[in-house]
Amino acid sequence: MRLIARFALEKKEKFEIIDVFDKEIKRTQIDKKTPFIKSIAHKYPAAIWMERKIKDEFGIDFEGCFDKRPAVKHERFPKDIYPLRKDFNKQEIDFCEFKPYSYEEIKGEGIFTVPVGPIHAGIIEPGHFHFSQAGEEILHLEVRHFYKYRGLEKMVEGKNPFEIQKIISRISGNESIAYQKAFFDILAKASCVEIPENLKRKQAILLEIERIIHHLTDLGFIPNDAGFAPALAFMSKLSEEARRVFYKLTGHRFAFDALKEEIFIDNKLLDEFLPYLKKEVEFFKNWINDIPSLWDRMDTTGCLSRKKALKYGVVGVAARASGIAIDVRDDDFYKNYGFKMQLGVKGEVADRFKLRIEEIFNSIEMINNLKTQENENFALGEIKDGEYMSFTESSIGELFMYLKIMEGKVERFFVRDPSFVNWQAFHTTIYKDIIADFPLINKSFDLSYAGNDL
Amino acid sequence: MLRFWKKRIKTGVITENLEFDRGLEEIKKEIKDKIKRYFAGSLAIRMVDSGSCNACEAECNALSNPYYDLQRLGIHFVASPRHADVLLLSGVMTFNMYHHVWDAYNQMPSPKWVITLGDCPYNLSVFEKTYAIKGVDLPVDFHIPGCPPNPENIIKGFLEFLKGFEK
Repeated sequence: MRLIARFALEKKEKFEIIDVFDKEIKRTQIDKKTPFIKSIAHKYPAAIWMERKIKDEFGIDFEGCFDKRPAVKHERFPKDIYPLRKDFNKQEIDFCEFKPYSYEEIKGEGIFTVPVGPIHAGIIEPGHFHFSQAGEEILHLEVRHFYKYRGLEKMVEGKNPFEIQKIISRISGNESIAYQKAFFDILAKASCVEIPENLKRKQAILLEIERIIHHLTDLGFIPNDAGFAPALAFMSKLSEEARRVFYKLTGHRFAFDALKEEIFIDNKLLDEFLPYLKKEVEFFKNWINDIPSLWDRMDTTGCLSRKKALKYGVVGVAARASGIAIDVRDDDFYKNYGFKMQLGVKGEVADRFKLRIEEIFNSIEMINNLKTQENENFALGEIKDGEYMSFTESSIGELFMYLKIMEGKVERFFVRDPSFVNWQAFHTTIYKDIIADFPLINKSFDLSYAGNDL
Repeated sequence: MLRFWKKRIKTGVITENLEFDRGLEEIKKEIKDKIKRYFAGSLAIRMVDSGSCNACEAECNALSNPYYDLQRLGIHFVASPRHADVLLLSGVMTFNMYHHVWDAYNQMPSPKWVITLGDCPYNLSVFEKTYAIKGVDLPVDFHIPGCPPNPENIIKGFLEFLKGFEK
């Protein structure tokens, strides 16, 4: 079984831990006075961060867990507050005394550590990478996150679900449509209406364009991090053009707040742009194929083995590049419009690079099939109380969202970004590489920090 | 590689002649001395994300694409705050980033300026104050609005910021 998410919520008498697997959902009620539960991190390593987060936010202890360090509570965060409990309603907390975080480090003669971040040299999001080095070779890497922890889960509690759409839209800028789609599916379920086919098709078009833009950007940055700048010039031009098309279609360059009950898509614009895009990406593919020094850097680098990927429950591009057929779009709806699972072999930087190119081609084909002129009348109805879940394939991977509504208000909102599991498997990919390969490997995964930290 | 050069020549220069480019020419004449004095002919910017959604960063990266190519205006992004004149700050300033951002600011040589980018550092955009958000309390000199501001508006914002030195 693959672990998708482990999260907690507070009920009147008990805490509840929900374990979402791909085949079943387990619920465990635990006592509020001495809250503890057995850790599952030994079997499912991706549960480590999930459990550390629950411990920080709910004060629930995990029996048998081997990593007791705080996750979202950084050095100056007060340790005795549990912000996601219902009795916590402060909007302002004070800094505490600095308590150092004990990093995973390898010690020994000649071994040194390279701390990188949270503020990086380039224009990217904050996160910390802690390397233990023997010369150039990486012995160990600890990824530490939650610098961008905004407390979003608490922020939306107690609000009308329709009120929080704007926030959902801006959780992770690169995956905005995916978040909106996941939330829209939940709203549709909660108001007991079926999303009509034509609207579904238009939503899927926007989701695929978002994926194309994300892939294009990466296809430029990956070679750039290996020192091949012309690829970045080529691809950043193309992704800018794609973003302008996105703007013309939705009125926003990132399509914030674009997924409404009625969507208008200018098919003419797509008819003009898509053949051009396809031609350009084909040119890029042929051109890059002829540059052996670039493949020298990308082949055999940053290998995520199939075994490790399965163990960590890795999703999305990273999983598919390692040969694991996992994609939320692998259903009748998408297959009907030409979805084909793209798979890599070895899980190296080169596999992820090639996979992104092939996914662009597949997305273009799907958009061509998804185009529609028709509209149905559709409106979301009144929201009914209950628990709702949804899955969406964002440009990074499987996005899982959970919403509990009580008396028309958000009781608990939880989302597991694909990055959240992929980040945890990330360190397994660097053991054969040197530190100079790190930016290349990092970019080939291109995970979200904002979606991970919430 | 030959294929690439053929395409490169065919494509030519795509960097746009935006309207405000001419505006810059005019401002340049007026404030040339001041830029020279304050920024040695180039404005070095250190961008720091204090808890954004990553859209502002994506738009800043877009500033380097062939359409905008910001460097030709003499404005460029540097890796270290110690090399920077301006701290360009995006995001809501989370509890966990607060001290790191101040660290970066303190490392910058004086005189220094802070420009906030996007609605988040200004008014939290659509977000609301939570325990995990501190808000920006750096001495802010200029603000570029938008959620996120598009590359054109960011460049315009930089120009407006430079105009402030005329006074």
